[in-house]
Amino acid sequence: MLDEHLVLLPIVIPLMGAAVGLVLHNHPKWQRLVTWLAITISLSFTGLLMWRVFGVQETIVLFVGGWAAPAGITLVADPLSALMAFMSQLVLWGGITYGLGCKDKCARYPTFFPLFLTLAVGLTGTMLTGDLFNLFVFIELLVISGTVLTALSDDHFGPEAALKYFYISLFAAIFLLLASGSLYVSYGTLNMADLAQRIAADPNQPLLGMAAAALMATFMIKSAVVPFHFWQPDFHTAAPTPVHAVLSSVVVKVGIYGFIRMTTLLFIDYSHTIQTVLLVMGAFGVFFGGLGAVGTYDAKRMLAYSTLGQLGFILVGIGWGTPLALAAALIYAFNHSLIKAAMLMLAGSVGSRAPVKTANFDKITGLGKVTLPAGILFLLGGMALAGLPPTNGFISKFTLFQSGVEAEAYISLAVIGVGSLITLVYVGRAFQRIWWEPMPEGVEPKPYGDRLIAPAILICLCIILGLWGWPLLQTTTQVTIWLSSPDHYIQAVLDTAVLAAH
Amino acid sequence: MELLIALAIGAMFGIGIFQLLRRNVIRSAIGLIIISNAINLFLLSAGAYEGVAVAYLDAVGQRSDALPQVLVLTAIVISMGGFATVLAMLYVISARYKTSDLDDVKRLRH
Repeated sequence: MLDEHLVLLPIVIPLMGAAVGLVLHNHPKWQRLVTWLAITISLSFTGLLMWRVFGVQETIVLFVGGWAAPAGITLVADPLSALMAFMSQLVLWGGITYGLGCKDKCARYPTFFPLFLTLAVGLTGTMLTGDLFNLFVFIELLVISGTVLTALSDDHFGPEAALKYFYISLFAAIFLLLASGSLYVSYGTLNMADLAQRIAADPNQPLLGMAAAALMATFMIKSAVVPFHFWQPDFHTAAPTPVHAVLSSVVVKVGIYGFIRMTTLLFIDYSHTIQTVLLVMGAFGVFFGGLGAVGTYDAKRMLAYSTLGQLGFILVGIGWGTPLALAAALIYAFNHSLIKAAMLMLAGSVGSRAPVKTANFDKITGLGKVTLPAGILFLLGGMALAGLPPTNGFISKFTLFQSGVEAEAYISLAVIGVGSLITLVYVGRAFQRIWWEPMPEGVEPKPYGDRLIAPAILICLCIILGLWGWPLLQTTTQVTIWLSSPDHYIQAVLDTAVLAAH
Repeated sequence: MELLIALAIGAMFGIGIFQLLRRNVIRSAIGLIIISNAINLFLLSAGAYEGVAVAYLDAVGQRSDALPQVLVLTAIVISMGGFATVLAMLYVISARYKTSDLDDVKRLRH
């Protein structure tokens, strides 16, 4: 009985933390302590959940409220969900830890940390939920928290960025509701396991194509795949650094999660078409994101564009669709989250040393001279982003290229091979501008900036995963074995439902 | 009735998207709320799959499916929260940028 409630804890603990944090809005120190404890406890329970799913090899299914699937609300921790939820919580923990040590004015706003925790609830819930409508609810929670956090930003144009994001996200939500409505009218259920079963039994419903297209549009807007990306650089640049670090690394992975679910569970019969679309868009995104990052004027904006490119690599992995390519895409997603969050925190912490907080290259030229540890960490993170050993970026690029050779997709392999070289260019340029060039005269850097503890921990994890990549490789292989047949997921959910009914 | 509902959903989508693309901040926010209501109507009519009547029919002896109505209720609450957020942001933006024209809200672009 207690075991199945484990899947609820990563969602409920941050939610309770947010409520307690709101009550403590007059006591900032206590609020910060509660926030940090809530995310730490919830991270450790997610770790426990991950151990249950991978170590003991059982999928945990919880029917909230006691109504068995497909009638009630279902939370499912299968290998894919558990891995994604753990990744999200890890980076969220980093983000909140950075937020506690950051000098932004908005971090002292009484609702900043409660909103950060509701962001955590939305993100983890999205990964763990077992039906489409709850996906919508959790995504909306995520979107509204992210929007308000950005609108609070110290950046004067924060509300503009938040407005752009909110309008486009509301469109994503509308597409998701359209998809849910179309699937419900065709199959009479919204539970993903039941839906997958019924779609496989009758794949010729007229509204199925529309539902698939609407879901694709939703997830593409969510993860800013290239033709749907236009809001992303503006929004991410204006967000406060701890929020930006979370948004640009794990929040964009919601779409990746959705695509994997679509191609391996929901729309098996159409997975080939979906994979082709993802392959083309991913290869295009690698180039677009890379070139956009090279041509930009701001360190945070550069990393936001870089996310577009890096997501392209993951989409190409999903597009190839072989088990090895899926494993490579998952490894890439996990590693990219750690690297990108750390890099953004470092860029933000250098920016916080500038006389007026900014990450504009012209304003922070040579400013890295005052914070050498950040420079070393940035160099290591940059190596990871570009995929050089001994970092985890090398492992993810290596497995991805290996899977491409195995899938014999030489054209797309050549495209992303050239694209990955661009990464080296922009990372090198940023390092040179900030740490190599002399500081212009008359600039008075602030003596204190944001604390470096969170990015240091994340970069350490990157190095450890680069030197000892076996656990992640093992985990993702287990996930791909699980994903190889949709029956695993369907049986795990519906069999538990039969058991619960008796 | 079915035709009427279909036409209403279509008209609301059309009007909503047209208003959303207007330059005035208030008009675009109203467009947003019209679209989310069009979606609610669509979800309500999604309650009609085989053997089940839609909620807006008063057919005697036929039951209607309760789930889409619950979905609509949730969607209404969420869209209300979202709409309040949008209005608050538009208020801040029009005060900061001294304009009610969304085309002038583009200072993040360099």
